[in-house]
Amino acid sequence: MITDAPSTTDLGIGIGLRVPHYDHILSNKPDVSWFEIISENYMVDGGKPLAVLDRILEQYQVVQHGVGLYPGNADGLNFDHLRRLKKLIKRTKTPWISDHLCWGSIDGTFSHDLLPMPYTFEAARRIAENLRIAQDFLEIPLAVENVSSYAAFNADEMTEWEFLAEVVDLAGVDILLDVNNIYVSSINHGFDPLDYVNFIQPERVRQTHIAGHSKYERFIIDTHDHPVIDPVWELYARAIERCGPVTTLLEWDARIPSFGEVHQEALKASVYWDAAKAKHDTLDEASLPR
Amino acid sequence: MKHPSLAETQREFFGALQFPLRGTSRRSTELPVNGEAHDPAFLATAERLIKPTPTLIPAECLELYHRQYWFRLLDSIEEDFPGLIRLLGKGKFWEIIEAYLLHHPSESFTLRHLGRAMPGFLAGYLDEPLISRRATAIAEIEWEMMSVFEAADAPPATPDQIASETIALQPHLKLLEQKTNASEWLHEDEDWCEGDLKAFHTAVWRTAEGAVSHTPLEPGAFAMLTRLSKTPTSLDDWLDASASEIPNPETLTRWFSAWSGNGWFTSS
Repeated sequence: MITDAPSTTDLGIGIGLRVPHYDHILSNKPDVSWFEIISENYMVDGGKPLAVLDRILEQYQVVQHGVGLYPGNADGLNFDHLRRLKKLIKRTKTPWISDHLCWGSIDGTFSHDLLPMPYTFEAARRIAENLRIAQDFLEIPLAVENVSSYAAFNADEMTEWEFLAEVVDLAGVDILLDVNNIYVSSINHGFDPLDYVNFIQPERVRQTHIAGHSKYERFIIDTHDHPVIDPVWELYARAIERCGPVTTLLEWDARIPSFGEVHQEALKASVYWDAAKAKHDTLDEASLPR
Repeated sequence: MKHPSLAETQREFFGALQFPLRGTSRRSTELPVNGEAHDPAFLATAERLIKPTPTLIPAECLELYHRQYWFRLLDSIEEDFPGLIRLLGKGKFWEIIEAYLLHHPSESFTLRHLGRAMPGFLAGYLDEPLISRRATAIAEIEWEMMSVFEAADAPPATPDQIASETIALQPHLKLLEQKTNASEWLHEDEDWCEGDLKAFHTAVWRTAEGAVSHTPLEPGAFAMLTRLSKTPTSLDDWLDASASEIPNPETLTRWFSAWSGNGWFTSS
């Protein structure tokens, strides 16, 4: 067993490393606290992705975020995938890894999507078991991220936030709290996003994600192709007020603007992050023995 | 009411994603027009598994995942086979792609591997022999370009190492023997040239800058490189074994210069 609670490693505000920004980052060495990489893009034997990654690693802290672990798969984990992941972890020296509270393949066929879990006790036990096995195999703290969803199941026995809390307690893993995903799902399913943020265990939250999305007439899709909207910033503010100034990342994955624009959008989080840090520092000081 | 198990739920949900696109989702793509409605099984799965949201009925919820599944696969495979589109035209290309994806859903964690079975599929799918041969040859090259992009590499051998050590070829160098000059056609250098008894050879590899490239090879060059790919050896032994394939010293010098310049040799 690796850990039952996040370490105090707070990296500040980071940005997702994306191909259109490679040249800018390598040439200009912008002042960024850390970069998040999509693990699967670098789980290769050679070539340009790894060459660029090695140059980034010379100058920046990198944290791995995955989209292919699929811990919710009923037929279990893919150990070939885990072995490739572990090899990359040795290369990046990521302080933790994250992936999603979802499933994505069955009988060896892959959806390449983050498919929603039925919120049942059976599913909670299955995904927790897989997460625990993955964390032990990888020998590194694992954080699981709530996904945006567009469908809920007739079989549901609890809310999504109850399901997430149940899973991380059973598995002994951390939470990557994506406040944009909470907002998207709250609109799609008609719940109060604050109920979600106020329920999850703050001591388990190791990292947050913020992002933009696309609004349609009757639903919202999590597209990561817009700036963050005010209601999501407000949700973020509440999340870090409750969880403390945890490591934060802006995701921007489609219609990607210049590096400067993405960086500026990410730094908007610093207003909330600094306030949360000041509050928590004050609380820490007040709790010192006199 | 008894609900299906997690495994049953996932198997049925994924089965629904693999039904062909229909309706407005299909019309958002370049797939051939098809006015059929959703398969009743798709609608039944939605009703059985999914509860309505405040604004969407179960079938609409399932359709959001259904279209995302297809859009993601179609976008990826379109990028992988630009030469195939040029050969076949968009209409035929998208007809084939739909059939291909229905027969060969992704079996890898990465979409980069989605086109792996395309050459074999085309050989069986296209009836007209000439088109089948050309399309298969193009798909072979374009698939190898995908595999070469992420293949392993080794430090290029120095001239001293080439002269004195056991040498091998880079793991990312792929050698193809085909029945048509697809590499030249893809480069738009030549019109088609082919024949049942004629063989054409192509090398696909990754440059020092990480770009992927392909080039035609002369028969002797292909034979020499194939020999070295199978059996790493010393330069002298390799040349001795390849004596019958070397037309003349000038040609060998030209080949060697290109191979070495491309970084194809590595010290074994």
